[in-house]
This record gives sequence, structure tokens and C-alpha cells, in this order.
Amino acid sequence: MEIEKKLKILADSAKYDASCSSSGSKRTNHKDGFGNADVSGICHSWGADGRCISLLKILLSNACIYDCKYCVNRCSNSIPRATFTPREVAELTMNFYKRNYIEGLFLSSAVIKNPDYTMERLYETVLLLRQEYHFHGYIHVKTIPGCSKELIDKLGKLVDRTSINIELPSQTSLKLLAPQKEKAGIIAPMQYISQQIHTSSQEKSKWKEKFVPAGQTTQLMIGASPETDYTIMTLSESLYKKMHLKRVYYSAYVSINQDALLPALPQPPLLRENRLYQADWLLRFYGFTVDELLDQNHPNFNTLLDPKCDWALRHLEKFPVEVNTADYATLLRVPGIGVISAKRIITARREFHLNFENLKKLGIVLKRARYFITCDGKYFDKISSFQESFIEENLLYLERASTPASTYIQTSLFDTFLPTKEDKIKSLTGAF
Amino acid sequence: MALSFSCNQKVYLYDGSFEGLLNIVFDCYVQKQIPSRIIEEKQYIPNLLDTVEIYHTDYTKADRIFHGILKSISYQTLYENYYAFLANVPEKEMSILLYLLNGFSIGPKINTMLSLDFVFQVHSLRKKMLSEAHKLKGLLRFKEVGDNLFYACIHPTHNVIENVGQHFVRRLPHQNFIIHDATDRGLLFLYNTHQYQIQSDKNFMVPTISEREKEYQQLWKTFFQTIAIEERKNPRLQMQFMPKKYWKDLVELS
Ligand code: SF4
Repeated sequence: MEIEKKLKILADSAKYDASCSSSGSKRTNHKDGFGNADVSGICHSWGADGRCISLLKILLSNACIYDCKYCVNRCSNSIPRATFTPREVAELTMNFYKRNYIEGLFLSSAVIKNPDYTMERLYETVLLLRQEYHFHGYIHVKTIPGCSKELIDKLGKLVDRTSINIELPSQTSLKLLAPQKEKAGIIAPMQYISQQIHTSSQEKSKWKEKFVPAGQTTQLMIGASPETDYTIMTLSESLYKKMHLKRVYYSAYVSINQDALLPALPQPPLLRENRLYQADWLLRFYGFTVDELLDQNHPNFNTLLDPKCDWALRHLEKFPVEVNTADYATLLRVPGIGVISAKRIITARREFHLNFENLKKLGIVLKRARYFITCDGKYFDKISSFQESFIEENLLYLERASTPASTYIQTSLFDTFLPTKEDKIKSLTGAF
Repeated sequence: MALSFSCNQKVYLYDGSFEGLLNIVFDCYVQKQIPSRIIEEKQYIPNLLDTVEIYHTDYTKADRIFHGILKSISYQTLYENYYAFLANVPEKEMSILLYLLNGFSIGPKINTMLSLDFVFQVHSLRKKMLSEAHKLKGLLRFKEVGDNLFYACIHPTHNVIENVGQHFVRRLPHQNFIIHDATDRGLLFLYNTHQYQIQSDKNFMVPTISEREKEYQQLWKTFFQTIAIEERKNPRLQMQFMPKKYWKDLVELS
């Protein structure tokens, strides 16, 4: 089969994986080699769906022996199948890299023959790139559920990042929709990788190469199974805490297969996906816990307001916050104030007293924050009543205004999100 | 607090180079006087009411200010202002002048004094330049035009070629390449696997590409079109990240 056809098939099969981040690893070039990895990540293009393209994201093969219900590549589907040779992948990667199309490679694969055989092929490809082609750019490789520890060890020393997608957020759904994978075990290798990353960073002297320096990630599929936001976020929280994952990606389920076990969604639940990303952010950078955001009686996010505004409205007793005295953690909880803004406020107020005028000068966006803060006890402009209904009305208005009705469902990941523009850029380049 | 300088109400015209501006800084420092405007000579539209003074860059003076900044203010100050200078924004010169003059009396602390208007301006100018440079580190496309020789054409708003070029020197040290700023600036960044050089060349002929190059361009287009998820189409978002002005230099969109 000619290379272009293969590329089409194997990129098509890989496109549902949300992760595109190329950051978190600093690889410097050696004299003999090609490429380096930039700590803050670089986006090279954006596809028609608005998602950043930074890596050559392909499968080594889509000829799967498994039959996960939700997946295009399941063996019961009749679709064109293809398999790259390791050299073909290496050539594509090098030639794309030299032309600055990409930041590196994101290689995944369907399970061919068995998990170990598949992992061997992935390993061969990466070894070829690193040793024969002297490629020092970014490489992210999927770990195949059920593969041996030896292979994980070998591959871990060559790649920047690895991931195992959990996809289904509960045991029951896994059993139902991905029976073979469930048996092969997803959590065990994840745990093992997390341990190895930890040991390698503890005993730096003993490890020649760093083990998976950019850490591991996973992906959860949203809307293919009945879990609530509360269940999903609780899982994410424990993945961050116990497995030290770098990122959890959320991917709105796209109905590709007809199956009695799967819901037939007219459209992927993009707004829900967006809310989960926003909440994920609150967990990682804003000091929130899941139990503050959701509970049994309130298990799903408000579709009309982002999770931070929603939380603030339910906790008006904590506001207004005085910007001249509030500590960092408190500032971070103000809707509209992001990590960068909060830090800026803290630095600036050492030097001079803050009023609304110089907040604006510091580049702090007051659109939402104005309802929740005071400067020297004074409210912004004409805001005199600190009343829930008044604030809620205004916030709802802002949310609607920033997402025109026709595109409301198609809202972008970070469009309606509160952090500052810099936060947005960093998130897209994967710096967070 | 910021120093006050008496303003002589003149308009200074200079050659548009960083050295030219440093030369003006030197004279202002010595004369304890500032003009009301500084503008590149070829951009200036004469006005009957202006008292104009034309500067011919004196490199010795520029050099003394350059080392003066390093010695009495800080390395960061120099970079901060140089990067701000590369931003293509009118009236940037006065902010840089005031920053440096005040820097000489305040010292390195000036770098964090964002409450001073001109410090804030210089910071935002630098950010503008660097954020476009960062964007182009991703969006620039090399085309193979000879044996291990690559060519890329860019049309940036700001003067980013040096910053962008250095990035590729680190990244692709074994590749000969030319980066061409094909705007009115007409600049070439040339790298021969050992050294780089920036040249002005307004009539550079764009080289023709090889057969092999066409194949890879085709493969990249295929990948680009395949990787987007149809059900999530969002051209508004795509445009937001990748403004139209960059499209003409992108293999996948032209
Ligand atoms: S293992 Fe399951 S999810 Fe992975 S490619 Fe095969 S069928 Fe798809």
C-alpha cells in the first residue's frame, strides 16, 4: 500500500485521542542530532475542529484483535486496515520535523496479535528514531494494556511521555464496553509507571536516562456511559493524587458505531466536556476539591455557568474579597482571577495601593471579577448591591454573550473559561 | 519616583535602527532634555509646526549607552528594551527612551516598576513581539530547495526574524536554512550549520522546490485534513488561533 493511503487510514484512526500536548520535557540537542523539546510546548497548526496540532498523531496499526464497543478500530467493524513499518514511521517523523510541521511523534496502536507483540513494534520504532536517526524531539507513546513490565521499562527510557487511556470511568462500564481490555488491566501498568517515574527521580544518579520525563496522562470518554460528572471528577482527583498523572483529558464521545449498548448521541457533548476541563483546572491550580464543586444531590455541572462562577454564587458568604489584603488562595477563588492575575496582584500591591484603575492597567480582566471584589472597601463603579440575583443575572449574560447561540454547543475548550489569556495559551500548548 | 526631564518640543528623526535610538538616549542623557517625539525618518510626514532634528547614528555613542546599560542597570533591561524595539508599534521609541533614562537613576529595580507607564508599555511591546515569535516557531514551514537546504518565508507583523532564527539554529543545527521575512523589511536569516547571519535583501528570489518536497507537502496536507474531527468542526476557533494573515505561508492551507 502506498504511504499516503496508510497515513490517511492511520491518522483517521488516531484522531479521537485528545492529547496533543508537547510540553513538560526539556531535551537539548546533542552535536550529532536533530531536534529538541521545548519546555513550554509549541503548536504547529490548528485543524478545522480548532484543535491544536503539534504532534504527528498516528497509529502504528489499526488492525485490532479486540472489540471495544465504542471504538472505530474494533475487529467487528469493516473498515480499511493498515500497518506501518517502524521505518515508515521514522521517515515520516523526520521529514515532517525537518519542515517544522510537528514538534514530535505521538504513536499509538491497536492491539495486533497480542499486547507484548504490539509493544515490541512500538519500541522498535522509537529505538530507530532515537538511535539511528538521532531524533531528540518529543515522543509520546501509548502503553498497551496488558504488556509486560520489561517492555514498559525499555520504552520508558526512550520516550518523553506515555499514556494509557482509561476511557470508561467505571468498572461496570469497562466490563460492558471494553471486556478484553478490562481483563488485560489498565490500572496495573499505570501504577507501575507511576512508581518507576518516582524511583527514577529519587535516585537520579542510578538512572542514566530519565524515565518518562514528561509524565503520564490518560483520557476519559464523556457520554458513552452513564457516569455523572461527580463520578468522573472523583476519578480524576484520585488519578492526580494517587497516580500523579500530569493530565487527564476528557473526550466528548462521538457516535461512530451503532450498538445496542451505546447511546446514539446526535452530537458529541462538547459543552459538558468543556465544563469538565474547567473543573479539572480548578482541581489542579486553584486548590478546589471535587466535594466543594459537586455532591450526591448536585452530581452534574451547571450547563449555564462555569464551575467557578457557579461555586462562587453558592458561596456568597465568602465574598466580596478585598484585593489589597486577601491572600493568594483567596484571590484565586474569585471568578475572573486566574493564576497569573493573582500573582500579579500580590507583586503589585507590595509596591503600591490597588484601585480599580491600576487593576485594569495590570491587565486584570474585571468582567466577572468586579462583582466579587472591593478595593479599599469600595465596589466597582456603580455596583452597590451585593445581591445574588443581580450577580447571577450579569454572569449569565456574560456567559451567553461570549458564546453566540448558534455555536453554544460547539463552545471551544477554553472559550468561556475564566483564566486570563496567558492561561489559555499555556493550556493549549500544554504548559499546564 | 520617575525623573522629570524638560522637553524641548522637538521631533527627532533617526534611521530606525536600535543603535540609532541608543544614540538619541545618549544625547538626552547628556543634555538632560527629551524631545516630544522620536520617529523613523522614512515614516515621518512633515508638519509645518514641528521643529525637526535629524540624527545620523553615531555608533560610539550608541556603544557607550549599550555598555552603560549592562554596567549600571541590568542585562534584563537591555533585552527588555531591545525586544520591545523589535515590535512594530508606532511611538515605541519614547517609552524606551524614558525607561532607559530612568533606569540610569533608579537601577535594576526599574524592571519591576510596572506602575510607571513607560515601563508597562515596554513590557507589553516586548510581549507582543515575543508572542508572535512564539507563534511563528510553530507556524513557520520549511521547504526543501536543495540538498539539505531549506527555505521558509514569513510575513510577520513584528521584527521576529532573529528570535525565530535562533530557535531553529538550536533545533536543526545540521540543516542549512534560509528564513525570509518577505514584508517591507526584506530580511534574510541565513544559516550554514556553523554560523548564522542576518542580511537585508529586498529583491530575494524565492527558490523552486524539489520533487521530493512536493511529496511531503502532499503527505502533510493529507494528515492535516484527516486529523480534524468532522463532528467537532469549528472554523471560528481555528481562525482565532491561526489568524488569516498567516495562511499564505502555510503549506496545509494554501
Ligand atoms: S483495543 Fe479497543 S480501543 Fe484500542 S484499538 Fe482495539 S478496539 Fe479500539
